[in-house]
Amino acid sequence: MQLVKLLINGKEYEVAVKKNWTLLYVLREILNFTGTKCGCNTGDCGACKVLIDGEPVNSCVVLATKAEGKKIVTIEGIAEDNNLHPIQQAFIEAGAVQCGFCTPGMIITAKALLDKNPSPSREEIAQALDNNLCRCTGYIKIMDAIELAASRLRGEA
Amino acid sequence: MQDKNLVYVGNSRPIRDAALKVTGQLQYTGDLKFPHMLHAKMLFSPVAHAKIKRIDTSKAEALPGVKAVVTYKNAPRIPYNSAMRFYEHKIPEVEYLFDDTVRFVGDRVAAVAAEDLETAEKAIRLIEVEYEELPPVFDPEEALKEGAPEIHPGGNKIAEIKAEAGNVDEAFAQADYVFEDRFTVPQIHHCAIEPHVAIATYDSRGKLTVYSPNQNTFAFRIIISKVLEMPMSKVRVIRPAIGGAFGGKLEATIEPVVALLAKLTGRPVKMELNRRETMVSTRTRHAAVVYLKSGVNKDGTLVAQDFKVILNTGAYATSALNVSGAMSHKVFKVYKTKHMRFTVTPVYTNTPIAGAMRGYGSPQAFFPQQVHLQRIAKALNMDFVEFQLKNLVEPDGVDPRFNTPHGNPRPIDCVKRGAESFNWFNRPKAVDLGRFKRGIGMAVGAHGNGCFGAHRDVTAMVLKMNEDGTATLFTGSHDMGNGTVTAETQVIGEILGIDPENIECIEADTEATPWNLGDYASRGVFVSCNAAKKVAESVRKEILKEAAILLEVPAEELELVGGWVVSKKDPAKKATLCEVIVNAQKVSQREIIAAETFASQAGVTSYGAHFAEVEVDTETGKIRVLDYVAVHDVGKAINPMAVEGQIEGAIQMGIGYALTEGLEFDEKGKALNNSFKKYHMLKASEMPKTKVLLVEEGEDPGPFGAKSIGECSTVPVAPAVVNAVSNALGIDFRDLPLKPEKVLKVLQRQS
Repeated sequence: MQLVKLLINGKEYEVAVKKNWTLLYVLREILNFTGTKCGCNTGDCGACKVLIDGEPVNSCVVLATKAEGKKIVTIEGIAEDNNLHPIQQAFIEAGAVQCGFCTPGMIITAKALLDKNPSPSREEIAQALDNNLCRCTGYIKIMDAIELAASRLRGEA
Repeated sequence: MQDKNLVYVGNSRPIRDAALKVTGQLQYTGDLKFPHMLHAKMLFSPVAHAKIKRIDTSKAEALPGVKAVVTYKNAPRIPYNSAMRFYEHKIPEVEYLFDDTVRFVGDRVAAVAAEDLETAEKAIRLIEVEYEELPPVFDPEEALKEGAPEIHPGGNKIAEIKAEAGNVDEAFAQADYVFEDRFTVPQIHHCAIEPHVAIATYDSRGKLTVYSPNQNTFAFRIIISKVLEMPMSKVRVIRPAIGGAFGGKLEATIEPVVALLAKLTGRPVKMELNRRETMVSTRTRHAAVVYLKSGVNKDGTLVAQDFKVILNTGAYATSALNVSGAMSHKVFKVYKTKHMRFTVTPVYTNTPIAGAMRGYGSPQAFFPQQVHLQRIAKALNMDFVEFQLKNLVEPDGVDPRFNTPHGNPRPIDCVKRGAESFNWFNRPKAVDLGRFKRGIGMAVGAHGNGCFGAHRDVTAMVLKMNEDGTATLFTGSHDMGNGTVTAETQVIGEILGIDPENIECIEADTEATPWNLGDYASRGVFVSCNAAKKVAESVRKEILKEAAILLEVPAEELELVGGWVVSKKDPAKKATLCEVIVNAQKVSQREIIAAETFASQAGVTSYGAHFAEVEVDTETGKIRVLDYVAVHDVGKAINPMAVEGQIEGAIQMGIGYALTEGLEFDEKGKALNNSFKKYHMLKASEMPKTKVLLVEEGEDPGPFGAKSIGECSTVPVAPAVVNAVSNALGIDFRDLPLKPEKVLKVLQRQS
C-alpha cells in the first residue's frame, strides 16, 4: 500500500492504494464516486471517463498512483452548486438519456470537447465520441444534446 | 380513442430518472455496498463439453478470507429453467446451479465468496479441475444428425414447432415460380453497457433479498425459491436501476448462485461479471439456419411461403421453446398470402446459451424473408416497394390461420410514407462511383404486443393519492431506460388531470409492488400502460365519489382538470384535489387507493418499414450506411421522443447485426471476440443520417391507441441494409454479418 493524494472535484483525498489499483477502482470502491461506471475495464467503452487535467480519460486504464498531482473531475463534479451543467440539462431535454449507464462518460467527453471547441460540427462531435459506446440511443440524441448544449454555452439558445 | 384533446399522452418528455443519471446519483446494482459484504467470483469451464472427473476445492477453501466455495458437489441439485415466467410454466428443465458436466466454454463450474475480490479471484485459480473431455458439437445442423454427441439426455432436438395456414404444398404447385434460399444469422450479444451483476443478502430470520438489474423480478423469485427450496415469502427480489438489458437480463443467470452464496455465508454477497464473462456466460441471441421457399405469380402476388428454421439454442434450453413459439406467429401477420408454413426446430449445441434478445425471433425470421423477397421482386422485374404494396396486409387483414382480424395493421402506410420521405422511386437503386459502390434497399418487419394467445398476460398496479393531490404508483414494471414507467405516469396523469412529474413510482420489487408478468414481449406500453389506465380510472372514480360529497354535486357531473375537480355544469363549483383528498381523510375517514389487475385480451402487431442507403468500399470490403429512414406503425406515441429514441437505438443494433456483430469461436468452441475491443458494435461516427417517422392511426385495445415499438424497431434494419448492399453490388448475400473480409472474398470470387 502507498499513500497518494488525489485532487478530485476540487477536493484533496489522501488514499492508501495498492500499486495495481486503477483510478476507477479507487474512485468507485474506496471513495464512493460511483457515478463513474465500469462497462468493460479495458478502456473500450468510455463509461468510466473522467477528466484528468481537462482530458477525457478512461479511468479503468489509469493507475491511481499515476493520477497523483493531477486535476481529476468526475461526473459528480460537473454540476455546480447543485445546479445542473448546461450539458447535463441538454442531455435530459434532448432525450439523450435512456438506461443512463454510458451517460456519465458521455457527459465527461462532451465537457472536454466543448471546453476546447465551443462550436463543434456534427462530425467533430461524432469523432469525439469515438471511445464512448452506447447501446440504447444510437448516439443520435446524444449528439443532438451536445449540439444543444454547445449553442446554449455560446449564449445562442 | 383519440377523440379528446390529450394533455400528457402524446407529449415528449424525458424519462423520469434522467436527472439522476446525468449527475451520477442513480444507484445501479454495482454501486450498492452493504456492511461486511463479500465478493464472489465464478469459475467457468475452459472446455466445450466434458465430464468433471475430479474437482478439488481444498486449497481454495484453505485460503484466508475465503468464506464459501460451491460446486456441483455441495450445491442443491434441483433442475430448473432460467427462462421460467410463472409458477407452473412447463419448459424443459435441464439447468442446475452446478452440474458434473460442462456443456460450453463459459459454463459454470464453481463459485467462491471471499472477503475481497482479490481473494475470490485467487481462490478461483486454486480450484483444481480434471475434465474428461466429451466430443462437442457446435453446428446446429450437425447436432441434429444421427450419432452427434448428445448434449442432454434424449438428444439435441428439443422440439419441432409448426404453424400453418392454408394448403402450402398445393399453392406451390400452382404458383408461376418457386424460389428457394438458405440463410444463416449469427449468435450476437446484447452488449448492454452494464455487465451482469447481483447482490444477495441473507439474514438470521432466513430471509433472502436479491438485488439484480433484471427484467423479471417475480419470475426470478420463483426460480430462486425453487432451487434453494425456500418459501416465496422468504425470497425478495428487487430491481435497482438497469444499465441496459435488451432481453439479456430477462433470464436468471448469476442470481441463483449469488443467492446460494449469501445463504451459505449469512453475509451480503456481490458478484459482478466482467465484460468477457458477460459476453459468453449470460445470454445471446439465437443463431439460426433458415430455409425459405416462396411461390409467386408473374404479377408479383406472393401465394405461398414455407419457413424451415433450425434454431441454435446453445448448451441449455432456457428460452428455446418460447422464442420458437413467438417467431412462428409473426410471419403470419405481414402478408396477405393465405398459404404459409413455419417450422422451427430448436437444437442444443456446445455454444453459449441463447435466450431472449430484442425482437425475440423476429430478426431471425424477417432478415431471411425480406432479403429473399427482394431477390424475388428483382427476378420478376418488379420494384421492391411495389411488391410490398401488392402483398402487405391491409388494415382489415386477417391472420390466415384463425381468420381473426389483425387489428389495425399499417405496414402499407409505413412503406408509402417511407418511400416518399426517402425519395425511393426517384433514386437510383445503385450508383457506381468506381472504388465505391452505393445502393439503396428497404425492408418491412413486425413484432407483437404482449403474450396474449401464448399464456397469461397480466400486470397489476396500486395507485394512491397523497393529501396534496400528488400520487404514488406501485408498479412491477422494470424500466430499462426505455421509458415504460414514464409512459405509465403520462397515462395516469392524463386520467387524473395531474402532471406526471407529480406521480412518484415504486418499481419492480416483489414485496413492494404487485405482480407483473415481466418486461419482455413488448408488453410495456400495450399491457402495462393499460394497467396504469385501469388503476387510474379506478382512483378517478373514488376521487369523484369523494368530491361529490364535498361539493354536493353528483359525481357524474364532475371532471378532473389540471389538479382540480370541477363541475361540468357549474364551473364555479370546484375543489382542488388536495381539498378532496383531505376531506376524504377527515370526513369519510378513508384512503384513496386502488389496486387493479389488467389482463390483456388482444394480440396486435406493430410494423415498421426501413429504408437505407449504403456505400461499399470495394477495396476494403467496408460498408457504411449513409442515409436512413425508419417509419413505424405505433398506434399512438404516448411519448414521441422516447419512441424515436427506441427506433434510433434499434438502428444502431440492427446495423451491427447486418454488418459487424456476431460471436466467433475457435475450433474448440472458445469465443474469439468476447470483448468490446474485438466485438464491433457501432460507434457514433458510424451511424447514418437518420430520420424517424411515426404512423399513428390508433390500435383500439392499446392504451389511448398505443402499441409497442422497442422490439419491432430492430427487426427491419438488417434486411434493409443487406438489400441495399445487394443492390449496390448486384450480389445476393444470405449470411450475416457482412464483415469486410466476407464482402472482399465475394467480390474477389466474382471478378
